[in-house]
Amino acid sequence: MDIRNTEPHDIRPSRRGLLALAAASGLVTALGGLPTFAASAAPRRPTTSPLLDPEDAARNQLWWKAPGAAGSLIEQGLPVGNGRLGALAGNDPANELLAITDATLWTGGLNDTLQSDGQFPYGRDDFGSLTQLATLTVDIPGHDLGVVDAYRRTLDLAQGLVGATYDVGGVTYRRQIFASRPDDVIVLHFTQEGRGAYTGTVSLAGTHGEATTVDAARRCASFGASFANGLRYGAAVTVHSASGTVTVTGTSIAFADCRDLTVVVSGGTNYAPDQAAGFRDPSVDPERLARTKVLAAAREPVRDLLHTHVADVRPLFERFAVDLGPSPAWLRELDTWERVQARWRDDVPDPELEAAYLQFGRYLMISGSRGSLPLGLQGPWLEGNDPDWMGDYHTDVNIQMNYWLADRAALGSCFDALADYCLAQLPSWTDVTRRLFNSPTNRFRNSTGRVAGWAVAFSTNPYGGSGWWWHPAGNAWLCQNLFEHFEYTQDRAYLAKVYPLLKGAVEFWAARLVTSTVTDASGVSREVLVDDADWSPEHGPQDARGITYAQELVWQLFGNYLTATQVLGRDSGYAETVAGLRERLYLPEVSPTTGWLQEWMSPDNLGETTHRHLSPLIGLFPGDRIRPDGSTPAELVAGATALLTARGMNSFGWANAWRSLCWARLKDAETAYRLLATNLKPSVNGGNGTAMNLFDIYETNPGRGIFQIDANLGTPAAIIEMLVYSRPGHVELLPALPAAWAAAGSVSGVGVRGGFVVDVSWANGRVTRARLTSTGGRSTTVVAGGRARRVDLVPGRSVTLGDF
Amino acid sequence: MRTRRRVRRRTGLPVVATALVVALGGPAVPARAAAPDAATPHAAAPDVTAAPVTAPSTVDMAATGLAERPYLGWSSWSMQSSKYPGLNPDGDYSYLTEANVLKQADALATRLKPYGYEYVNIDAGWWRDNDWTPRFDEYARQTPDPVRFPRGMKAVADHIHAKGLKAGIYLPVGLEKEAYAGGAAPIWNAPGCTTADIVYPDLRTTNGWDSAYKIDFDDPCAQRYIDSQARMFADWGYDFLKLDGVGPGSFKSGDNYDNVADVAAWQKAIAATGRPIHLELSWSLDIGHAADWKRYSNGWRIDTDVECYCNTLVTWENSVDDRFDDAPAWSRKAGPGGWNDLDTLNVGNGAMDGLTQAERQTYMTLWAISKSPLYTGDDLTRLDDYGLSLLTNSEVIAVDQDGAPPARPVTPAGDQPVWAAKNPDGSWTVALFNLADAPASVTAHWASLGFTGKATVRDLWNRKTLGTYKDSIGAALPAHGSRLFTVRPGGPALVTTRYEAEAATNTLSGNASVAGCDACSGGQKVGNLYLGGKLRFNDVTVRRDGIYTVAISYVSGDIRSATVSANGGNGTSLRFPSTGDWGTAETVSVQLALKAGANTITVDSADWYAPDIDRIDVPQTP
Repeated sequence: MDIRNTEPHDIRPSRRGLLALAAASGLVTALGGLPTFAASAAPRRPTTSPLLDPEDAARNQLWWKAPGAAGSLIEQGLPVGNGRLGALAGNDPANELLAITDATLWTGGLNDTLQSDGQFPYGRDDFGSLTQLATLTVDIPGHDLGVVDAYRRTLDLAQGLVGATYDVGGVTYRRQIFASRPDDVIVLHFTQEGRGAYTGTVSLAGTHGEATTVDAARRCASFGASFANGLRYGAAVTVHSASGTVTVTGTSIAFADCRDLTVVVSGGTNYAPDQAAGFRDPSVDPERLARTKVLAAAREPVRDLLHTHVADVRPLFERFAVDLGPSPAWLRELDTWERVQARWRDDVPDPELEAAYLQFGRYLMISGSRGSLPLGLQGPWLEGNDPDWMGDYHTDVNIQMNYWLADRAALGSCFDALADYCLAQLPSWTDVTRRLFNSPTNRFRNSTGRVAGWAVAFSTNPYGGSGWWWHPAGNAWLCQNLFEHFEYTQDRAYLAKVYPLLKGAVEFWAARLVTSTVTDASGVSREVLVDDADWSPEHGPQDARGITYAQELVWQLFGNYLTATQVLGRDSGYAETVAGLRERLYLPEVSPTTGWLQEWMSPDNLGETTHRHLSPLIGLFPGDRIRPDGSTPAELVAGATALLTARGMNSFGWANAWRSLCWARLKDAETAYRLLATNLKPSVNGGNGTAMNLFDIYETNPGRGIFQIDANLGTPAAIIEMLVYSRPGHVELLPALPAAWAAAGSVSGVGVRGGFVVDVSWANGRVTRARLTSTGGRSTTVVAGGRARRVDLVPGRSVTLGDF
Repeated sequence: MRTRRRVRRRTGLPVVATALVVALGGPAVPARAAAPDAATPHAAAPDVTAAPVTAPSTVDMAATGLAERPYLGWSSWSMQSSKYPGLNPDGDYSYLTEANVLKQADALATRLKPYGYEYVNIDAGWWRDNDWTPRFDEYARQTPDPVRFPRGMKAVADHIHAKGLKAGIYLPVGLEKEAYAGGAAPIWNAPGCTTADIVYPDLRTTNGWDSAYKIDFDDPCAQRYIDSQARMFADWGYDFLKLDGVGPGSFKSGDNYDNVADVAAWQKAIAATGRPIHLELSWSLDIGHAADWKRYSNGWRIDTDVECYCNTLVTWENSVDDRFDDAPAWSRKAGPGGWNDLDTLNVGNGAMDGLTQAERQTYMTLWAISKSPLYTGDDLTRLDDYGLSLLTNSEVIAVDQDGAPPARPVTPAGDQPVWAAKNPDGSWTVALFNLADAPASVTAHWASLGFTGKATVRDLWNRKTLGTYKDSIGAALPAHGSRLFTVRPGGPALVTTRYEAEAATNTLSGNASVAGCDACSGGQKVGNLYLGGKLRFNDVTVRRDGIYTVAISYVSGDIRSATVSANGGNGTSLRFPSTGDWGTAETVSVQLALKAGANTITVDSADWYAPDIDRIDVPQTP
């Protein structure tokens, strides 16, 4: 065995780049959390350019030959975001259009008056909805597409830049758009090469009927208002140019004969993630703060804003790299949308596109999940104020799927948004559960009459509120994500932080579980603990006890809680109680009738065979109680496989992603890969699949598709799961490598449960080299090519493995 | 009660429109119909034999010198039919007055005549008052409404002629019911003939609105009636006649609506006047009678009214965009002497037209490459700068006027078709269209035009030479946008390998079968491709991997779809334009990835009906 211990310096180019950047600017530590829209210290500016040279940048660029327009931004707009503010950019030469969303711009509130059926209201006023903040337009009338040649727009994933170039009258015009976290603004920078100039108008409009006002002296336009729920919000824009004129006209800002143009926009709300403060920060005047921010940023050279932004995002992006092999040269001549179409039309693998799709998911997470609320159904990317399902947090797979990618793809810091969200909501969740869960009309109430801890409904908002039906196991599933983040990071301080969430969920279940008697095939009866009347999401009976979904999740929850008490040295007495409960938990069986793992405590299929949800397979993924490696009874694996097979191969994006993850866990590489290909099907007329901008489209009904971000994050997680499987103490490399990527490839920066990061290279389907770095883990087994080896490491050190 | 004769909506459009026709239908059936006296008409027509009776004209319309090229001009109907504020202050269709016509004629002469626009066409209503009550002379001929045209029609034509322009007028086909006059009205210059002689005893109705009695041309009096109308127009000095409601067409079929004899009579009557009068037929003419229309007229409306009968002149969806589907069937029917008429070109004023700039450019692009007459219905006194730039783009007008056959879609995938036509000088007219509601890029591959390598490209709308492009040219187009190029090949012709559909090496499935086809290479095709029927070409061999532009030759009398795929891929769903009939083959192209060595290419009817396939031609290199 070839194991060489090495010093903890990093030889990967990406990591080296990261360290060089961090050393140059001290940015990594300087740019801490920005929990709300708040005044921020002047960012530290990099002293050297962090920009990639064009050739390197091209490796992580998507490009298109056509812009988007009003009404098509969900499918054609290019996303930018600074973790809180998101925008979709249309990039029409004559009409740059940004739909700007602040992740905290929510209507609604605590929503703690139940309906007569004991469930929550679910409307835009009571529960609330995420809404769009503003629309920014930059009209340049002389640049109508009809006179434009050589149009091209790009999305630079590594540097967080949207760009467009085109020719009019022999002049090449360029624009660049980025959402800076350090400066908390979105910047649009227009330049040209030749003797061109820009003449036109910048307009900033609210989307709720707000009146925009202008400050002529500062060439600034802004608006501010508040919702019925008291949330204040506002946005501002300013424009400047080194040449030409910039003047206020009406409520807009006009520019004429400008050889370059800089537009800076910002906005936010007075939301605060603090139940005690009523989820408001009364000290924030959002409109005024937005004005302050755009004017401050506009005083900086735009190059400095750009460098500061790139230095902020590039290190994060470069923690992870993936190469699934080269695509045919002729595919490289196609733009991203044409490649998506060709991928489907010809059903020929396009490894570069598939890798780019993964990196696009990471880009969305970097852009949409830093320092503010977590990614909901659409992240901070709306066009309009009525996103389906409120753009909310769905707790029966969607928000969990959004964060499966984070630690796997070296974006553990982006996970904080989810953990911080849950922590901020916990007081309300606990209070509402205590007061309302056992309402006599709630069909899911605890028949024990006891209630403890916290629970949520299928939907949650950022005001401690739940929406639609109670969802007892939602707490356990959230805790599954929360605990898994600890498994990746081995960060005890983090575990201590989220411990109240884990314990509260455990207490809820300790109060809820009821006893039942089951008889096994040999006629032996035993008493078990089962979930009370419940609904396996989102089909079948609504009053079933002991649904597999809940049993598996509670089993995981209890186990994770026990680990947490041991790691933290807390609550050892209660841990014993919980361990006892866990012993008695009923765990699902394989139906003698269907051969499937049972979804309900019944041998019969009580639901829809091809239902989108894989709730009963939660022990296969994201859990790992069901494993195809001999450590799980073969009958159980067969039952899970049979159920997964019956669920079929053609569902919605997130449902295909979950299927792919499950097949990866079952080491069926080709089936897992086929589901990836299905999600890459070009969406036509709102059909399921991938839009021009790579957003996943969910067909709500024929001819109408909406954006749901979960598949954009869950499908990349599946790609990684095909390359690396891990659970504490166990790593398997290339568990499900499809033929399409087998020739040669590599992935680096993959998070490993147990506290490691792994880099893997392969050729001809076999691992050629692997490198394991401890981020807190001390020992694990590494399996590759059917061979297992034990690796012991000191945190911070790496080991290179060869000879596979 | 108002009679609104011109409510013409496509099937499936608002029921309101149809109901209107029923509710406001023509007057009650005259007493004659209740008790027809079958003996009367022929017995009372002694002089008929004295009139010169000639055999049906065999004159090719091209020989008349009329419509050597598609005509250009203006028509009154778009503004008449619109609810745009201020256009029709005295009720629906009241725009049509001498003052308005002459105002437009003056504007046409000043602004557009230098670009070839010359016809000023008066549409429906010149013989009807603002309540739409018609007026006829003693010979059952339409006579001008004195309020609309106080000086009569000749004065109008004279004014138009004085401007160096040509004058057009309008009639519905058949004997208008109100002209019947109990059968007693004499026919001018046909002693013994009355209106009773020229219709059927049962007073069967005809035309697109059933507003006229069908004329019985077995009775010689009938031709005399048409002659009298033609004579009247010639005497007034008209140069153009639009004959409307003509069938088969005008949403009508069946014997009562077969107006071929009317059209022939008009052609004959016009010839007899000695005055060249362009005869244009309307609307939605039956393509099955294309030979008749070509024989007797100078142009035929292939589609329903382009007007929206709404607050603007037109809208994109109602019904400019229909022409993209409906024009291809007619592409081989047009030529000198008779052209496919796509209806009025309303691109001159964005606000009044009801279209975006992109839509206006696309509108005129399709009309020009289809060699349609270019007659605007805009208020020519209020053209905006963009509209004027469109209507006066001499390079685009030249495409319309080059006398070559209309363009056809060559890559009909999705909402981004490329249309092209080969020009007499060897260059190509190439139009890129984005019919989707959102921006898109559209690419024309030279291989789909049959050549390779470099070609020089001229952008006609922007009037500039873009330079040399290798293999293709693409552009970003806005929603409903277009580009129009002249492409001059510089490279060699594409070398392809032909694979016949009927080849024994192919695999047919479902009900697919080989059938004879005179228009097809090899004299055979594969048809009966429906409901899952497939044609698979086996062993399509190429030397290297890449994306190939595969040409598919097919026959299809209507619009049909098929999914074309290579090597078991998901393929592309293609919407094959009609070839006009089941005896004409056309070619479209599709991009497919092929690998070095043997490939399969499959044409799958999927869940509906696919065209008949003649062959595919596969380039030797990608």
